[in-house]
Amino acid sequence: MKKVIIFIQCIALSIAVNAQLIKVEIMATGLTCSMCSNAINKQLKTISEVEKVDIDLNKNLFVVTLKTDNKLTPKTFKDKVEKAGFFIGSMVLSVNLGNQTIEDNKKIDNYIFIDTKAQTLNGLAKVKVLDKGYVTAKEYKKLEKAYTKYQTYSKDNEGIFHLKAI
Amino acid sequence: MKKYFLLLLLCTSLQINAQELFVMTEPASNMPTGSIGVRAMNSFMFEKDGTLNYHIMPEIMWGASAKWMFHLQSFHSNRSTGGLKTEGGSLYAKYRFYSSDDVHKHFRMALYGRYSKNRADIHQEEIETMGHNTGYELGFVATKLVNKVAVSSSVSFEKALDNMPNYKYPPTQSNSSTNYTLSIGKLMYPKKYTNFKQTNINLMCEFLGQTLNQNGKSNLDIVPSVQFIIRSQARIDLAYRRELYSSMTRTAPNGFMIKFEYTFFNVTK
Repeated sequence: MKKVIIFIQCIALSIAVNAQLIKVEIMATGLTCSMCSNAINKQLKTISEVEKVDIDLNKNLFVVTLKTDNKLTPKTFKDKVEKAGFFIGSMVLSVNLGNQTIEDNKKIDNYIFIDTKAQTLNGLAKVKVLDKGYVTAKEYKKLEKAYTKYQTYSKDNEGIFHLKAI
Repeated sequence: MKKYFLLLLLCTSLQINAQELFVMTEPASNMPTGSIGVRAMNSFMFEKDGTLNYHIMPEIMWGASAKWMFHLQSFHSNRSTGGLKTEGGSLYAKYRFYSSDDVHKHFRMALYGRYSKNRADIHQEEIETMGHNTGYELGFVATKLVNKVAVSSSVSFEKALDNMPNYKYPPTQSNSSTNYTLSIGKLMYPKKYTNFKQTNINLMCEFLGQTLNQNGKSNLDIVPSVQFIIRSQARIDLAYRRELYSSMTRTAPNGFMIKFEYTFFNVTK
């Protein structure tokens, strides 16, 4: 019986770390010049799991490619951008969630899908993070009103991320 | 010789949005967390007696967190006879307490304070804790960035104390002032970015004003400048300071300035 419980726990644990970030596209706000972009670039490169950072200096867009088997969450990137002195305007994740169906209000690992139609994922999913601090302040105000039906949204819960499949 | 070499080493820094990296004032934004900047402000000022004096103010800056940054600075000049002399130093701290950012724009506010020690003789009514007076300054700064233009304005209270070792602050002079600044900067080049190595050119214009609290005497200066940002990491500013009007005694209000800065990213955590 004990072995069975351990086995189930192991499976549960392996599901819990299943959500694997592959790529993170960050649009930073509050800057225009290349020196500011460089400050963010240098911060992102301090993350050891980062493979490379591609940058569009005119759009302040940072495409961060990650090494496999990383256990990073969106918060790592938010903290780094804010340490550079700026904020996140949008964050799009390429995340490997395995082959499973997603639907509105479904929770997988630390992620909750909202404003999302039911669909079957074929491994890689492209999703936008909708939480406070991951969209512009203006956009968050709108979303907060629009998403009142989602009980977990707008709660100050840093470990849980609300995603919309795009 | 060794001293000059050290100064030369220090002659180099950066900060945030280049358009708001003003020559004469600090913006409400801070340096990136964990970065260390080194800076040297060189001033060539025309004394009213016709001589030219040289001031160098090397500075080391540290971004302690997204909200706090600190500067340590020393003051040297050849104003008195006998070559370049160390006259004093200062500690500066800035706290960014408000930030509202959007795509290609931000509005930020910060509080700052400086405490300085100086051993020069007190030779003018103008109060300047950056290089002339022992004393302190407490201020508020707000900075707005929209696309390629940054506008920053500050107001501060400055108090002059006795200079070291025994230069008493003249009791007939006002020992405190209210200072006002307005700085405008625009990114002129490049029009479109291709990489980090492109040299950025910013044009700036700053207005610096002071009113002495006890007697109402005042002055206003204009400082146009051109700034080059090299490889998104180093900075060279060329500026000219010109008095627009003054009703107080000042010995050398006009002159040229050249400032070097270099930033080392992620030195501390």
